[in-house]
Amino acid sequence: MLSTEQAPPISVPLRFFAIAPLFLVLAAAILTTGSNDATVLLAATHCLTLGFITMVMAGAMQQILPVVIGSPMPASKWIAWLTLLPMSTGTLSLVGGFLYSNPALLYTACWLLGCGFFIFISACLISIYRAAARNPTKLALLLAILALTITATLGIVLASGYASGTALDYPKLAASHISMGLGGWVMLLVAGVSYQVVPMFQLTPNYPQRLSTGFAPALFAVLLLSLVARGYDIASLSAISTGLSWVLTVSFAVITLRLQNQRRRRVADATLSFFRLGMSGLLCAALFSTLALFPPLQEILTTLSVVIFITGFAMPVIFGMLYKIVPFLVWFHLFRGGVKKGVPNMKSIIPEVWMWRHLQLHRFTLLALLTASVWNPVRWLAITGLALQGVLLCYALYTAITVYQRTLKKLETT
Amino acid sequence: MIALDVRGLPPPEPFEQIMLALDTLAKTEVLRVLIHREPYPLYDELRKSGYCHLTTALPDGNYSIEIGRAP
Repeated sequence: MLSTEQAPPISVPLRFFAIAPLFLVLAAAILTTGSNDATVLLAATHCLTLGFITMVMAGAMQQILPVVIGSPMPASKWIAWLTLLPMSTGTLSLVGGFLYSNPALLYTACWLLGCGFFIFISACLISIYRAAARNPTKLALLLAILALTITATLGIVLASGYASGTALDYPKLAASHISMGLGGWVMLLVAGVSYQVVPMFQLTPNYPQRLSTGFAPALFAVLLLSLVARGYDIASLSAISTGLSWVLTVSFAVITLRLQNQRRRRVADATLSFFRLGMSGLLCAALFSTLALFPPLQEILTTLSVVIFITGFAMPVIFGMLYKIVPFLVWFHLFRGGVKKGVPNMKSIIPEVWMWRHLQLHRFTLLALLTASVWNPVRWLAITGLALQGVLLCYALYTAITVYQRTLKKLETT
Repeated sequence: MIALDVRGLPPPEPFEQIMLALDTLAKTEVLRVLIHREPYPLYDELRKSGYCHLTTALPDGNYSIEIGRAP
């Protein structure tokens, strides 16, 4: 059930959404300094995963919790600032720490990100605990938050260990950090939100009940199993749990694509195309991960699977959701309380032609990225594409914010 | 009774059309809306704007909502 009465002020999610695209530009700028260097890749990857993906998801969470499970975050405006500031400065500090191998910056990042995540996670858990609603989205959100807790803890252990030069099993910890972050936090949140957003905005039938109730707990259990298997070096169990997690995510992607094929209105929609590209990206990531089970290209195929999961699945899904949700939020906050003359049509808040251009640009960037893995000079096209996407998304989101502020002023004076 | 069919329209068009129709509704008139999903956010707005509603789930999966002024 959706409850709009509980919705936070529009500034709460929009602050996160407006800052996030700047990290796409920063990631591109970092990659220009040498995209084969491991520390450069680590810094750029965290710009995408922490600065962009997690930033948008944290903003979205503050909107979803009150609206979808009917339980607002405690002190939502304060929580927004106390999450946004440490998360953005912490990400910058982490990226600087990686680039310059600077322990002080890495320690600062650990403190800032630790505090930011602690506040954010605590607020989310309080909101979920207080919620009376019982729906599959609530469970998926709870498990996504638990996955984020594990991811952030492992990330802080890794970064502080790297800063102090402590001897840790870095490959094993990093593998667990990546699988909980991408397979848990990102995948579970996308699934939980999709249960609501896909049928409502894309006019599809509802997700089958077996999937919406079983997917999130099954995936989380498998990810925990994989964590334990890795911890105790049980190779067979680790392979089985990894395989099972891909079977589950492939099922989610296939069912989502099937539902989208059954949609009521068969009109072209850029946000839907972004979403479908994301689901195809998820299938490709699963394919590369499966191929990586067989020698001799295991390392490059595993890396490609992670790269495609981030850029071919998570990013397009987030772009699609932003282009749908931001105009809707602007429209909703202007329209709420009844009919008012002068409220713009939702479709005119961010012109659809920009969304289509962004989609083409994203497809082009993905193609360049994949080509660059076998022919390095093409990386410049991928870097340029990434930077342009950041600029385009920034422009689109700032346009929506300007439309909101201008219309609100006009409505207040009439 | 005034009829309004918003089946298959993407959000926020059903909400917009219903609110516009209610704006022109006479005090004793009833608006009957046919819609493909149960519109929970609409109920909050109806309550705040002084309307009451009766929702019926139809056998074909759609919903019929009768909206009138709250007594």
